[in-house]
Amino acid sequence: MVLENPYPPYLEWLFSAGYNPGAFWIWLLTMTGVIVFGLLVSWILSSVRYGPMKAGDLIFKALVNLTDDLAHTSPRRVFALSRLAVQESIRRRVIAAFIVFVVILLFAGWFLNPGKTDPAELYLSFVLTATSYLILLMALILSAFSLPADIQNRTIHTIVTKPVRTTEIILGRTLGFAAVGTGLLLVMGVFSYGFVVRTLDHTHELSEDDLDPRSAGPGGVARPGKEGQTTVTREHRHQVVLDENGHGISEPAQGHVHEVTAVTRDGKTEYRVGPAANQFKARVPVYGKLSFLDRSGRPAEKGINVGNEWLYRSYIEGGTPAAAIWRFSGVRPDDFPDGINLDMTIRVFRTYKGDVEKGISGSITLRNPKNPKVKYLLRNFVAKEFAIDRHKIPLKFKDKGAEVDLFRDVVSDDGELDVEIGCLERAQFFGVAKPDVYLFKREGTPWINFAKGYVAIWLQMVLITAVGVTWSTFLNGPVSMLATIATMVGGYFREFLDELGRGIALGGGPMESLYRILTQNNLTSELERSITTVVLLWSDKLLFRGPLYIAAHTLPDLESLSDVNYVAKGYNIPLDVLTIHVTMAVGYFIPVMILGFLFFKMREVAK
Amino acid sequence: MNRSSFVRKLVYIVIIALLLVPLSIYSQPSVVGANNEVSEGGKLAQLRKEYQISESSLGEIDPTGETIKLATLGLRGVAANLLWHKAEQAKMKEDWDGLQATLDQITKLEPHFITVWRYQAWNVSYNISVEWDDYHDRYFWVKEGIKFLLRGFRYNDHEPRVLYDVGWTTGQKMGTADEKVQYRRLFREDDDEEFPDHRLRPQNRRDNWLVGQEYFEKAIHLVEDRGASIRRQNPLVFFSEPAMCQIDYAIALAEDGIFEEKGKVAWTDADGYWTRFGQRSIPTTFGIEIRLSEYEPLMEQVTAVAKKLDDIEPDLRQKIIEERRAKLTQDERDAMDVPQQKRTPEQMRVAFEAQIRLNVSMKELADRVGQARREEAQKLVEDAVKLQERANIIGRERDVVNFKYWRMRCQLEKTDPALNARRLIYEADELYKLTQLPEARRTYEEAFANWRKVVDQFPEMADDAIGGTSIEDAIRGYFDVLKQLDEPSFPKDFALMDVARNMMIRNAIPIPPEFMETIGQQPAGQPAVDENGEGEKGAGANAEGETQPVPEEKTDEEKAGDASTESDKPAEAPAKESDPPADAK
Amino acid sequence: MASPAVLESAPSASPEPRTDVVIETRNLSKIYRDFWGRQKVRALKALDLEVRRGEIFGLLGPNGSGKTTTIKLLLGLLFPTGGQALVFGKDASDVTKNERIGYLPEESYLYRFLNAEETLDFYGRLFDMPAHVRRQRIGELIHMVKLDWAKRRQLREYSKGMTRRIGLAQALINDPELIVLDEPTTGLDPIGCREMKDLIIELREKGKTVLMCSHLLADVQDVCDRIAILHQGELRELGRVDSLLKIRDVTEIRASGLSDAAKDEIKAVIARHNGNLVSMDNPTSTLEELFLSIVQESEARPGRRARVEN
Repeated sequence: MVLENPYPPYLEWLFSAGYNPGAFWIWLLTMTGVIVFGLLVSWILSSVRYGPMKAGDLIFKALVNLTDDLAHTSPRRVFALSRLAVQESIRRRVIAAFIVFVVILLFAGWFLNPGKTDPAELYLSFVLTATSYLILLMALILSAFSLPADIQNRTIHTIVTKPVRTTEIILGRTLGFAAVGTGLLLVMGVFSYGFVVRTLDHTHELSEDDLDPRSAGPGGVARPGKEGQTTVTREHRHQVVLDENGHGISEPAQGHVHEVTAVTRDGKTEYRVGPAANQFKARVPVYGKLSFLDRSGRPAEKGINVGNEWLYRSYIEGGTPAAAIWRFSGVRPDDFPDGINLDMTIRVFRTYKGDVEKGISGSITLRNPKNPKVKYLLRNFVAKEFAIDRHKIPLKFKDKGAEVDLFRDVVSDDGELDVEIGCLERAQFFGVAKPDVYLFKREGTPWINFAKGYVAIWLQMVLITAVGVTWSTFLNGPVSMLATIATMVGGYFREFLDELGRGIALGGGPMESLYRILTQNNLTSELERSITTVVLLWSDKLLFRGPLYIAAHTLPDLESLSDVNYVAKGYNIPLDVLTIHVTMAVGYFIPVMILGFLFFKMREVAK
Repeated sequence: MNRSSFVRKLVYIVIIALLLVPLSIYSQPSVVGANNEVSEGGKLAQLRKEYQISESSLGEIDPTGETIKLATLGLRGVAANLLWHKAEQAKMKEDWDGLQATLDQITKLEPHFITVWRYQAWNVSYNISVEWDDYHDRYFWVKEGIKFLLRGFRYNDHEPRVLYDVGWTTGQKMGTADEKVQYRRLFREDDDEEFPDHRLRPQNRRDNWLVGQEYFEKAIHLVEDRGASIRRQNPLVFFSEPAMCQIDYAIALAEDGIFEEKGKVAWTDADGYWTRFGQRSIPTTFGIEIRLSEYEPLMEQVTAVAKKLDDIEPDLRQKIIEERRAKLTQDERDAMDVPQQKRTPEQMRVAFEAQIRLNVSMKELADRVGQARREEAQKLVEDAVKLQERANIIGRERDVVNFKYWRMRCQLEKTDPALNARRLIYEADELYKLTQLPEARRTYEEAFANWRKVVDQFPEMADDAIGGTSIEDAIRGYFDVLKQLDEPSFPKDFALMDVARNMMIRNAIPIPPEFMETIGQQPAGQPAVDENGEGEKGAGANAEGETQPVPEEKTDEEKAGDASTESDKPAEAPAKESDPPADAK
Repeated sequence: MASPAVLESAPSASPEPRTDVVIETRNLSKIYRDFWGRQKVRALKALDLEVRRGEIFGLLGPNGSGKTTTIKLLLGLLFPTGGQALVFGKDASDVTKNERIGYLPEESYLYRFLNAEETLDFYGRLFDMPAHVRRQRIGELIHMVKLDWAKRRQLREYSKGMTRRIGLAQALINDPELIVLDEPTTGLDPIGCREMKDLIIELREKGKTVLMCSHLLADVQDVCDRIAILHQGELRELGRVDSLLKIRDVTEIRASGLSDAAKDEIKAVIARHNGNLVSMDNPTSTLEELFLSIVQESEARPGRRARVEN
């Protein structure tokens, strides 16, 4: 699976990741900065109106007020308001969202073509995406219209004249709608899982006619049993090899296998093909740290760039000492009682055609990090692209005639293991990225992984609810909905906005682009320096890039909160990732809520 | 006050009603009347018909596409643009499934946008296939591109360009790629259920060139019988494709080592195809329709007319020449008197200019014809000019598809000596590979003897690249065999000494010592084979023999042997990778 | 964004809050502005008021005179442009004062998807009342407003009068010391009106302070101890209802069930005390006269301060 920004372990991420100062400190710094800046701006604005002393006094009082509100927030009132929000949602036919969801599932067959290489991936990513869009849509409609509606028909009057704190009104609504979303999400989750399982469930038929005696093995040795292929269901069929009892596991196709058993009845043999097995996966990988050796065998941070636009993979040259080395830690015998499964996906880059019929071969070498001089050749292999190629590292294997014990000789005492991959063919290249090679620890429980994927959606939903409520504290319903949609879309394209904001995107801002169009300059040509261009560039910077940059860095990072990919590709969502996402969401939730309190406090609820 | 508001409302209603009138006229549907007279309908209906963008029957409406279109609330252009961007991202990030899913969505949104189908199919067949290392995968993706086009054709069954692309990818991509041997094999064995009609084809029709030809012919059928337009595509190239496929098929057969009857039939068919192509009436950008085979008859007519003109006053031409000669200066006359070989450069120039002045054009001749028949003569001149102009156009158009060359090649290859030569060369190559050198040598020599007959029969081919580069490769192979048999040079009775000599001049083979002197004396400007001519076989030989690093992209281009026809094809094929389709936005 | 209005009025600046004064406004003024910050309406001009514990205070005035604005300012629904509004000695923006206030808005703005019990329960929770207290209060209040028969119905099915009554119940859920009623009798039938007025008086008897505003003079006259008459955002008249009406040196006698003999006897009594019997029947609505005269006067001579009598 492609992981462009692999996360470090949670605590490392939170407090320090070596060169990185740690997310928590960045957050703290940002918050402090924003607060100080906000106070300064409001002090200056109030000073203009009331004079500096009075302004300071007012701001101090406001702060006291806010702390007071926070301190006196009563769970019972929050709960009452939440419950009201839930009741309101139900009254506003939130159930419609669910009906839409069911309708989408019913018609999903129209869009989805199960004849793809891995239908499970397609279906899982479809249900997860559909659910998240729907739930976010619901969250934003509920949250954006609720407060403005209350203000519009003045029901808010009976609430704010009770001893209710602003914090309670904002929090109550947010939590209430989040609760509705949670409930809906639970139901949708169960439905989608059922849908995917049910849709992908199938079997094939296999009859005596489809089978032939097994072909001879290497060296012309006759082998018992039969081989053949099943009928086609859902646009695929399986090759099967059965033992003499008529039992066997089919070859994988579309990412799953079937078990075949033979039943003899009235002297006739019938074959039963079982349900699709191993369809859903939740592989738990152990990722290593990747480093390289360059073509002269010296350590290097990166391999060679073969000219791809995408810098994800780094390449190593074949027929030279160049190699990619993964250092895995925490490799304990308990986790790998039967030896280690090494999963890999290697990209190939040829500089000459070579033999078209044959793939490019490479070698897997193991090393003990404590004793790096000694290398154990595990085996040579032919690179497989865009697919997981599994190599077994047995507990005991032979290298140069000597018996090697995996955990005694190769894995160091503190559980570290180096895996070195090299390309054997001169002037051909292997491309690798860190997540391309990992130790397969075990198969997780697919439905738990699915649930974890839903947690990520849930986080997005809560954030959107919070944002919606906050916008609606000072905007009217439709406008705050638009603002929330903008926040959401911006959140999904955050990276793109950031690129635009930092001026990395080719062609510059709108002014520069306009200038280029009018003067027929292409994107990459250097602009001549004149008053006009300087003015244009600066206006781009101030009017467009600046705000875009700020927007990109204040929008919720919904893009990276999504874990759909893990679930769809059949990888366990690591606990670290999940906790990091939860922390990120909380870190965003808090300031948004505070902003909501402030805005609502500042406004007059009556007209 | 109330009255004025009432009046205002009244005015609004009237305005609305007035606006509805043009709208209703504009959007009137077309109706078939009781007596089968068809009313054309309003402008919108006409436009819809003209651009063939409406699904005319309910069965053609694709519910998913319609739903998605509705869901975008009229912003489907924007949505398609976003998706296009997404597709580009997916391609960059090597997310092939994501790319395909996105392409599906785009085409659901814009099913009648031909460029999307064509560009993305090309993208899949040409760019994505080569991202994979295993040729099975490459084949899969080439085929995905073809399937994509076929799906596109289902939505646009009046679009010859889509079928043309199917033919092109099936023929050219599969037949000329680096992996052509593998592709062609996989194509023959393919029993993909999603690949329509393929399983139904008889085994001997399951050749990528023949299938490509089939689609080209379907495209032509659309143009001819249903009046579809090929837009800006060059009609010559368009109509030449089936014949070219047949030729490529015949060549491919030879490369596969299939000769005998099948090879002969293939070339005979190719000749037939090419002849029919020559007889086809084809529109040109000059605004006239031409037949490529018309050229020779036209030129004959021109000669006939010139003859007629001369016959009016048989001595007139000579008389005019004499008059002019009299007007030449002494220098000029002297220069002309010197025999051609012995002129100095200055004399050559002077003589050349003088000669031009001595030439009498038909018009000049006609102007001097006696009063009585002058009009007749001028009429003849007019005819000749017209004929000549037409011939010139045809001559130019012929070059576009290298008409003459292929005509001759077809005629040549189907002869027994040529077929024998090809077969023998193939066998000799095989023998050489098995290092059965004496047998290889004998077979080569037999082949060359046969080829000699061909060259004698078609003398124009002698110094052409034609014989193809494969003959030169054979000579090179023969030379290597000789070397390994410790013979330093070609034997005296070597049948293709002229070809070999040309090769030595170009340093295409090492020059044996006894040729050193003679070759050195040869003037440099001998008709040389285009250096690129080595492309096809050269790369192949490299790949089999010493493995020199040949950049992948370069060998992918292929088929330089067909240089001139090839050169305009890339322009017809979808644009280069970096260029988005011109009308995509 | 303009600096927060919350900040403008300092809370409870009064040095020694007089315990018997429940509501106090000082120079309270409110200007409505449009989106661009331009002045649109001066809804309230420098209002000084005091409402004392245990009295029923009426705010009187034609539509748009600033009655509702005053109430909203006192409740903290609006922020004053100038001056102060103090309730129980605390600034109007202070949330804690709400513990002791009950508010019945002009039209009961309640959640129509809740039923009577749920409504009261919800508001009870907002006062952070424990469950058993809530249950008890809900029972009492529903009984008091005579809605036992409809307590399980959603409010959307309620008639206007029922909504009014549940609104009142809602306002009393916390057993407030100060009850603010905005047009308490609108939309009620005559019987409902009577009951509402009885209730208000009953509340005073329990020692509550009531602030009500109305444009229905009869209501005010019937129940209020003191009134303030507002017109175009300005205070025009303030004083006890009886003393305000007493100025005219007029005695009204109203009685029922008197025989003609009794009437003669009364006439005799009046004559004996050297009085003149003005009329014995159809008493005129004197507050209405007062009100109309004030309105006419202020329209004739704008800007004149009202006379204030205690």
